[in-house]
Amino acid sequence: MRPCLPWLLGCLLSINSLAAEVSGLMQASLAVTDNQPGWQEQGSGILRYEEDGLHLQQALVKIDHHLASGWQMELVANLHEDGEQQLGLTQAQLLYKPLSADKVKFRARAGFFYPQMSLENPDTGWLSPYNYTQSAINSWIGEELRIAGLELGLYSPGRQRRSPWSWELYGGVFRGNDTLGTLLSWRGWAMHDRQSLHNDRINFAHYGQPFDTYRNALPAWTEPFKELDGRNGYYAGLHLDYYQTVSVRYYFYDNNADPLAVNEQRLYGWDTRFHSLAASWQLNERNRLISQWVTGDTLMGDNKVYVEFDAWFVLLSHAVEKHRFSARFDRFRTRGDDVWPWDQNHQDGDAITLTWRYQWDESWQFGLEQHINSNRALNRATLGEAPDRDRQQTLALAQYRW
Amino acid sequence: MTYRICLTLLALFCPLSNAAQLDVSVVDDQGSPVKGAVVYLTSSSPLPAVKPGTMADMDQVKKQFKPHILVVQKGTQVRFPNSDSIQHHVYSFSPAKPFELQLYKDHHPDPLMFDQQGQVELGCNVHDWMLGYIMVVDTPYFAQANAQGLATFDVPPGRYTLHLRHPRIQDDPKSLDLPLLLDDHTAHTFSLQEPLLPGLDEFEEQTDEFSGYE
Repeated sequence: MRPCLPWLLGCLLSINSLAAEVSGLMQASLAVTDNQPGWQEQGSGILRYEEDGLHLQQALVKIDHHLASGWQMELVANLHEDGEQQLGLTQAQLLYKPLSADKVKFRARAGFFYPQMSLENPDTGWLSPYNYTQSAINSWIGEELRIAGLELGLYSPGRQRRSPWSWELYGGVFRGNDTLGTLLSWRGWAMHDRQSLHNDRINFAHYGQPFDTYRNALPAWTEPFKELDGRNGYYAGLHLDYYQTVSVRYYFYDNNADPLAVNEQRLYGWDTRFHSLAASWQLNERNRLISQWVTGDTLMGDNKVYVEFDAWFVLLSHAVEKHRFSARFDRFRTRGDDVWPWDQNHQDGDAITLTWRYQWDESWQFGLEQHINSNRALNRATLGEAPDRDRQQTLALAQYRW
Repeated sequence: MTYRICLTLLALFCPLSNAAQLDVSVVDDQGSPVKGAVVYLTSSSPLPAVKPGTMADMDQVKKQFKPHILVVQKGTQVRFPNSDSIQHHVYSFSPAKPFELQLYKDHHPDPLMFDQQGQVELGCNVHDWMLGYIMVVDTPYFAQANAQGLATFDVPPGRYTLHLRHPRIQDDPKSLDLPLLLDDHTAHTFSLQEPLLPGLDEFEEQTDEFSGYE
């Protein structure tokens, strides 16, 4: 946390007020939960809060700084009350989008950023304007996935070709993110809105303790953006839009990690690859349907852990005047098939999240959310817990945006 | 006596007799009205120049240009007020006015002078679906067709050339320039021969605030 602060301050001070836009958002929540410890407290729960009370749900600042024609810098810094790190960057990128009269145009970006594979979180700082608790898919992407690298893209806006169809094609290469898959394999899918900071460490339960000394030597935490093997990961994505009514995005991601690579912290490389297909459909002025499906696998060690995972959700959002109602159904699953039979990686679950948001004025928004999930994780047996778990969480939120 | 009455009547109606009315109708190859079509009159005689300091607005509202087509007389300054609370990066590659303009929230740049006639196509480098036009004409006599495809002028009588322009029209521009002698009340209908380019009005449709995000 400390090394990033002078840099962040330097960036802030160097910003020309004319060319920079600073925006921010803060959410305070009152949570009522069923008091089951979550992964951050090294429990096996999959929700963010284990105790009733007031929480700082979100606090972020976003800086957009125009540098020169076509050049833009974006920084997003977040403050969390929970987790191992409290202050840091969730995004820091330099974007290049030159003016072009061509029908097919070029753009690029470099830094620390999300690939644009999701359609659930278009709000400031990669937040969802629909539900507060993000889908299982985007909860996971927000905590384990970030691109520290370069993305090149070609795109063709339909309106400039007098066509209803627009397309974008992206390819990216990156370092880091070699531990991606650790959380999915051991903790499984979770549902929350805590995005990992650039220097973050994520805890999870000490699964497997009674059974194996080798497992006990592995840390019960991960640092999701570590580089372990010196190899590049890559991804490719295709966006297709029909007017602004329907958007479809397909991505293939492969961190290309060496599953035998291990560092002095005993963090292993997890060779993780997956497909993501997301769609958003503006049904009419008031209703929007969003869906995403992810399927992939991850391998650690000499087939010590091999897990196949998949998840999907469907979200329907209805806006009327200052109200927005959003309902989402999630289903998620992991399957282990490896040489450690005692390390069970099977998880199944589904969840319903219902959210009401009221936009009081330009700055203030208030909301309520009810979330329930039912999930089964076989490795809870290693903690002496029953594998099946039903959970619910009620949130009342106040949000201030500037 | 009769002579005096005639003189009095002539004097009374003199202002009217100095204005000629022109009604223009614009229909496409299917006979449907072409809303927003730009019609204007030029003359070999000098026409009144634009008043110094004349301003027009090309706004940005809900990530669209408003109006879609703005017609101004050569020498007009155009403001880009940005009614959105987000950044825009407006640009043009058109020979009549190549430019780029960063529009930030709560910051209004100086207006731009449009001093060459022609069609200026506008885009936004942040929101790629935004499309707008500024039509710069060298005459004070211009109008845009309404929803019925009709445009009306009141101009001094004389010899003019009537022009029709619109970004979607594919007809040969020469067939859209028509010499006219205007003295009283004249009507003309442009019937286009070629089909219009696609309008793609759905890009302008109001959806929700999360439409078209990146």
